[in-house]
This record gives sequence, structure tokens and C-alpha cells, in this order.
Amino acid sequence: MESNPTRRFVRRAPCKSNPARRVDIRITDMRAADAAWWDRKLGPYHRLDRTRADRRWVWSALLPFCRVIQQRKQRTCRALVIWARDGRRFVRVGMSIVIEDYPHVDVTDRSHSNFVWFISAADSDVLKYRHGVSDPPSLGRVLIDCALVSSEDAGFEGRISLHASLDGGQRLLDFYLKRGLIRLAETAQLPVSVRRRNDGRFFYANPSVANSLARDLDPDR
Amino acid sequence: MSFFRHLDTKGPAEMGAVLEAIVRLSTLSEERILELVSEGGLEDAFPFEPNTEELPADSVAEEDLQEASVKSLNRVGREELIQACLPNEGSRRRIERLAAELARQEEILRAADLRD
Repeated sequence: MESNPTRRFVRRAPCKSNPARRVDIRITDMRAADAAWWDRKLGPYHRLDRTRADRRWVWSALLPFCRVIQQRKQRTCRALVIWARDGRRFVRVGMSIVIEDYPHVDVTDRSHSNFVWFISAADSDVLKYRHGVSDPPSLGRVLIDCALVSSEDAGFEGRISLHASLDGGQRLLDFYLKRGLIRLAETAQLPVSVRRRNDGRFFYANPSVANSLARDLDPDR
Repeated sequence: MSFFRHLDTKGPAEMGAVLEAIVRLSTLSEERILELVSEGGLEDAFPFEPNTEELPADSVAEEDLQEASVKSLNRVGREELIQACLPNEGSRRRIERLAAELARQEEILRAADLRD
């Protein structure tokens, strides 16, 4: 199945409480103010949840850090914010930072991919009870999809790679498996330029998987 | 390397520290950086202060959202976003913490190289 480089970002996501229903979402490039808002308004609640891999992430520092570090490596980062409709207005509900044009972690496929570096979805209870959002969306697949469609557009046929933070434990591994990503065998080599040992927590999507995942969300674009 | 043009190397010591942090931390793999961030060590390792004076509103109207394109940003777009988050002045204490963190990072790197 061929990739479709004309796909755009999704504009609807399933409701967390009722996946049959959809919530309008919009995606924008992340600015410093978005990161500051996230840290101040959601960060304190996320920090209390010991199951969250992102509980200590400080987006205000992460955003400039990722951009300049990757610029020094002569790569580029794309940082996005996902907003969900609440009545007539939109609120921030997800954040992501993707490295563009990264070596694909599956060395049997000597291509490049987008590397999903940091993704975070706001806790739905915090959105609901602290920010009055009536229908928080489920964002797992949307966050992956943003990297997939950017990869398609860049000519990488939807290939993406990521490393599941150790802090996320088994729960995070299950999260990515459930979303259809392929887990790189722990015995597999990594591209030389990745410069790390494979700890069994790398995942990827090849063009076929990417196209299948993206196609599932096509009605919501 | 346009970002580095914006760093005035004769400017406040903090800028030099930021530059040093970038040089040192860019030797780490993305996986290691993810670990560092997840451990909560980023603020100490990277003395950036956001340029945001005031928090933005909790919500915005749809017409005020500028939707992103799937296309990669062009050079001008990227530079604008980087400019928008250049650091404010940091404190000397942060720089001292940075130096300590860099030393720790170097030890970790050295240990990792030995292990590999």
C-alpha cells in the first residue's frame, strides 16, 4: 500500500468518554507561550501522577532546547500543539516534538524517518475538572499521526521511529504496541549515528504500517 | 547555524553558558536526552528562560488559531520560532548548577562509552 503525501493533519479526534463521538481539534506550531501555559496550568497536576512518563518534562525549557540542539546537529525539529474545541473556543490538549529527517531505527530499511521525541496528552480529568473542558479527546493516535503524515510529506513514506521513555515502564510499551507500532527486536542493531545501545524500547512504523494507521484516521482529516 | 549568530559571545556570561550547554549536550543521543528530561534534569542542564512575560489565555477562538501545515517549516519560519524563545538573563546559581550537571553528564557519557 502506497503512502499518501497529500494527507493533512487530523481535525477531529474521538472523545475519551465515548469513542464513537468526535471532538474538533486543531493543530498549530508550538510557541514559547504555549509551553509556558502548559507548564503552569497542567504541569503541576501531571507531576502528581507517578504513572506519567512526562511528569517531569518542562516544556518551556524543552522547546528551545530541542530546537537548538537539533539545529546544532544540522537537523530540524517540529513542535506542535493540539487544541480541542470546548464550546466556541479551543484549549490546548496535546504537545509534541518530532525530529525531522532522522535515521530510521530499522537498519534493514536504509531510509530516513521522523523521530517522535516528546509527546504528551493532557490528563482528561484535569481538563474536565480544572479547566471545564466538557469532552476531552483521546489523543494517542493523533499524536502518532502528526509524525506519520509529516513523514509522508517529507518523502519518507510515513516512516517514524521513537524510543519509549524508561520512565513510562511497561505501560508505555503497551501504549505504543496498542497503537500498532512495531517494536524493534532487542537484538537488532541501531543505525551507527544513533550511537546508543538498543534497550528494547525502540518502536517504528514502516510504510505499510504507517499507511494503514494514517488511513484509519483519513475520515477525520 | 543562524541561532548561534544570535548568541553574543561578548555578552553576559549566561549566554556563554547556554552556548556551552548546547555544545556539550548535543553530544548526547536523543534517547539519553529523553532520559535526562524525564529525570527532571533539563532545567539545570540548560539555563534557558522563556521569553514569555505573561501567560496566554486558557482558550482561543478558532479564527485566532493559525493551523499548521504538514509541510516542514521553511528557514524563515524556523528562525522566527527560535527567536521567539531566546533566553532572558539567568542567574549565576543556575550557571553553577549547569557546570555541575555538565560534569555529571560527562561522567555518564564516559561510563556509557566504557560499557559499549
